[in-house]
Amino acid sequence: MSANSTLDIKNKEFILVGLLLVTVAGLAAFFPSLGSNAQGEVDWISLPLVGFPIVVSGILMAFASQESRARKEILAGPIRLATLCFSLIPLAISTALFFDWLIAVDWALGYNEYALESRYHWMESIGVSWHVGMDGLSFPMVWLTTFLVPVTIIMTWEEKNGAVYHPLLLMMGGALIGVFVSLDLFMFYIFWELTLIPMFFLILSWGGKDRRYASQKFFIYTFASSVIMLLGLITLYFLQPAQDASTNPWVGDLTGRSFDIVTILDQANHGNLGDGIFLGMGMQKVLFVLLMIGFLVKLPAVPFHTWLPDAHVQAPTGGSMLLAGVMLKMGAYGMFRLPLALFPDALMHYQHCIMAIGLISLVWGAFVCLGQTNLKKMVAYSSVSHMGVILLGIASMQPIGYAAALFMMFAHGIISPMLFAVCGAFKHHYHSMEIGAMRGMAKFSPFLAVYMMFAWMASLGLPLLAGFVAELMVLLAYWAIYGWWILLPGLALAITATYYLWSMQRTIFEGGDEGQPPATLLGENPPDLTLPENIGMIILAFFTVLFGVFPFIALGMMDDWTVAFFEGVFNRGGI
Amino acid sequence: MDSVTVFSLEFWKVMAPETILLLGLVAVFVIPNLGHAKFRIPLTKVRVPWFLGGRRFAITGDPSIPGLIGAATLTGAFLITLMTEMMGEGGTTAIMSSGGIKLLQVDGFSRIFELIFFGALMLAAIASMDRVPATMQHSSNTLEEMYDNRRQADLYILMLTTALGMSMVALAQNLFILFVGLELASFSTYILVAFHKESKAGAEAGVKYFIVGSVASGVGLYGLSLLYLAFGTLQLDGLATGWANSGDAILPVIGLGMVLVGFGFKVSAAPFHFAAPDAYAGANSPIAGVLATASKAMGMVGLIRVLVLVASPVGETSATWLCLLGVLSAVTMTWGNIAALGSKNPKRMLAYSSVAHAGYLLAALTAVGAWHWGHVDMPEHYATAILAAIFFHLMVLVAIKLGAFLVLGLLEMEGGASRLSSLAGLGRRDPLIATSMFIFMMALAGVPPLAGFMSKFLVIGGIVKMSIGDLAASGGIESLDSLHWVWWLGLLMFLNSAVSVFYYLRVGVVMFLDAPEEGRRKPLPYGISIRMSIWICAVATILLGVAGDTFIEMCYSAAEGLFGL
Repeated sequence: MSANSTLDIKNKEFILVGLLLVTVAGLAAFFPSLGSNAQGEVDWISLPLVGFPIVVSGILMAFASQESRARKEILAGPIRLATLCFSLIPLAISTALFFDWLIAVDWALGYNEYALESRYHWMESIGVSWHVGMDGLSFPMVWLTTFLVPVTIIMTWEEKNGAVYHPLLLMMGGALIGVFVSLDLFMFYIFWELTLIPMFFLILSWGGKDRRYASQKFFIYTFASSVIMLLGLITLYFLQPAQDASTNPWVGDLTGRSFDIVTILDQANHGNLGDGIFLGMGMQKVLFVLLMIGFLVKLPAVPFHTWLPDAHVQAPTGGSMLLAGVMLKMGAYGMFRLPLALFPDALMHYQHCIMAIGLISLVWGAFVCLGQTNLKKMVAYSSVSHMGVILLGIASMQPIGYAAALFMMFAHGIISPMLFAVCGAFKHHYHSMEIGAMRGMAKFSPFLAVYMMFAWMASLGLPLLAGFVAELMVLLAYWAIYGWWILLPGLALAITATYYLWSMQRTIFEGGDEGQPPATLLGENPPDLTLPENIGMIILAFFTVLFGVFPFIALGMMDDWTVAFFEGVFNRGGI
Repeated sequence: MDSVTVFSLEFWKVMAPETILLLGLVAVFVIPNLGHAKFRIPLTKVRVPWFLGGRRFAITGDPSIPGLIGAATLTGAFLITLMTEMMGEGGTTAIMSSGGIKLLQVDGFSRIFELIFFGALMLAAIASMDRVPATMQHSSNTLEEMYDNRRQADLYILMLTTALGMSMVALAQNLFILFVGLELASFSTYILVAFHKESKAGAEAGVKYFIVGSVASGVGLYGLSLLYLAFGTLQLDGLATGWANSGDAILPVIGLGMVLVGFGFKVSAAPFHFAAPDAYAGANSPIAGVLATASKAMGMVGLIRVLVLVASPVGETSATWLCLLGVLSAVTMTWGNIAALGSKNPKRMLAYSSVAHAGYLLAALTAVGAWHWGHVDMPEHYATAILAAIFFHLMVLVAIKLGAFLVLGLLEMEGGASRLSSLAGLGRRDPLIATSMFIFMMALAGVPPLAGFMSKFLVIGGIVKMSIGDLAASGGIESLDSLHWVWWLGLLMFLNSAVSVFYYLRVGVVMFLDAPEEGRRKPLPYGISIRMSIWICAVATILLGVAGDTFIEMCYSAAEGLFGL
């Protein structure tokens, strides 16, 4: 009787989720007819890449929410399968956009030009529009996000309470893509804050022992910083020259100003004060600092980095992967999109400052890594250290440095999820994060040991892996500007190699010959990677090698963007 | 501009919302008293049915009748105002006395405020049907239930008179009429605050609110008399002419200061706000919500009339009251926020946040006072933007602040909402209500894309626009020194909003992260009408934020009408 009824429930839920899947897949198939922009072109961004993941994950979570615990467990299977299928749709679309399969996209864009632009009126009184588009800066990030979400779902296939967990990852992906494709400050800010909510709940509900503290610290810290950024954005909004609403339909009826990033960049480019100057130098500096604070906290750079180790150590594996993989890059992306493009004079003024912050992040992060006993904390600090490299690329003010920073964002976006996946697998199989608690992994979990070695090598910058290209390019740009100061980042890279190799030596190799598994390797979990973990690792490793050997697949687009950016920004009248 | 005479046929048509209120008022008086009464004609045995009194009919004896009439009347008044305004059929109509003096004026401005007043009172009245419930009379009624049944009619009569008084304030063209309307509304709210007279908190709150309020009214009235002494009239346009010609006369300035006290109490500006937290905490939540929204809007009407329209700056100078009001607003918003940070009672917290919001509104008014500062080409346009922002902010407050109070009202129904911990675990007990509360809190903090952001943005925008003036176009902004100093009020407002995020977020943390209190683990009481009001507020909070263009345009044209643009 009871077996029968369980079966009934199971079948019913499967049928329901199946129906849902078919419905939404049908909707997805009809996207071209659903969304088209003012020019009558298909809007490949708004609904398929942004709206679809957020709405679908919301539906799936609502579907799972009002059930008892037992029913939730039953639902978890079909829902995570559905989530995986749905997360593959944006990946397919973004990949197809890259290879021109869907539509011929010209990625060779000039400065302040965007592919696949779509624009709709939203709040006409204050000049807010729904404006999306992609360029060589945002498209790699969008692809990275669409790629990481399914990988993360596969990697954490067996996470508990999966009926909510996996849809949250999907929602996170939608919000992140929203940040990257927004061409309107208002939209940008909303998506920027929206990314906090799924991540907050991921840390809060699936985190480790101190999850409450970590999630609140994460939320308040990043929220406070984005309020400072908001102050900058609003000031920027008001200081742009007013336009007549009757000639330009996109500016606000009441304010005569626009939240549109393209319009603002345009005005900055033509310089409303004559001689190509956009705002007085004092105001430029103020705005530059306000915006940079918001982005530096997100990055995070050293004085503002303290939320990151806590959040990472407590976050579940999937949360960490997306946090390190994409969320940190939001900070770097924001810098390129706004302050660097708007205020090149202020950048020149603060060049050494940014260089110093980057260098401190790099060196300090690496030193702190040396002393860590918690594996995940070490990896978290290594993220801080690598984000310093991006700042160095920016501070160099060389095209090659910018391109390198972009590629660093991309490469780190593939490598760091793998690092955190390895940490998560440790936790899963060894029930501990302490480096000292693991000995002789090569013997007890050979697969894990191999992937760990691979990820560690990729992160420390082994040639032919993705991280190497970026680091080399940054060092070249740095050398061109700062000469022998290059010894400092060089030293930091040496330390990076040291802490990675040392931690490997202590975990993989030592103590294996005693023939006794470590005391923590207990419980029901198998000692080595499960199938989903293996699949996820292989995918990540494959792309690490791919972009290490053929960096130009992504780098070409970034190079074009950088060249156009330098022509547009630094060849303005005044400079 | 049309004009009609008082009590002519046209008059009732123009004043349709007020007419409905009046009829509703009569209905609440009469209908519950209808019964089988008969009147015996003297010296005969003929009994004529008289209907007023006696054993009540089955329908009229139902204690929930006054609530239904009250809510329906307010809804009708609200809808008719909304429709007139939306269809653009309003126009401006002056209402003259038979002697040819302009008493009232129906225009965009008055309709916007009527929308605010009627909207708030309508939601409060609907919610009160659950908060002060009427139960069918039977022998086993508890004392509490019998109390509530007895005072149904009182409650809705008072709400209707409040609405009537407030709409008089919005319509008045004469400071004396304005004052009479203000007092009608005030006296009704004094009683409403003390409505739960069997509880200590209710009586105490009512007495405090009454004493402080009547002192403030007295001072305001004295100020009015000084103004009358100076100018010989209380007509708004007469006062404006008089003010413009008065030069440096001290008497009207003193009068103005005293009038400020009277209205300052209504908007709960800083030195006059001491009664507000006690009154809000002691009153039942829908009433407290009305105090924080409609009553505040009423005070703002007075301030706008007196400060902007009467005592507006002349020539190239700033307004006389500029520095005074600037300091007042800075103190009000900062004090409100700091006090809210430390209050553990959610109702007091909301009261202090309402003080802070009064500070934001005063900051906007200050910026209007700066409109002749020399770098502004068309001052009326700048002032219009700011006033539109003030109207919109007051409108938005109805949705968010009243909504938050109604959620507390729902908690009061199961035994009180005077500790922050009574909200604990709401996220698990009732996710929908908790989410609504979270939306209200975020909107109060001004997080985009909710309504609170939009209105604060417009207010800050107006202030900044005024302080920049035409400098942006002529390229004169080298440093902050070249801006008018009201710029700093905009910044202070932003910083205060940033601080306020902390205590609003704390409510969210308590609701979603803490375990519910002992004895509060069961689902919330159902209360369909209070829930409906909460959901209306939540939906309005989101819609006014992402699609509020219609209402912003409405506020804008109302503000334009005020300056005759």
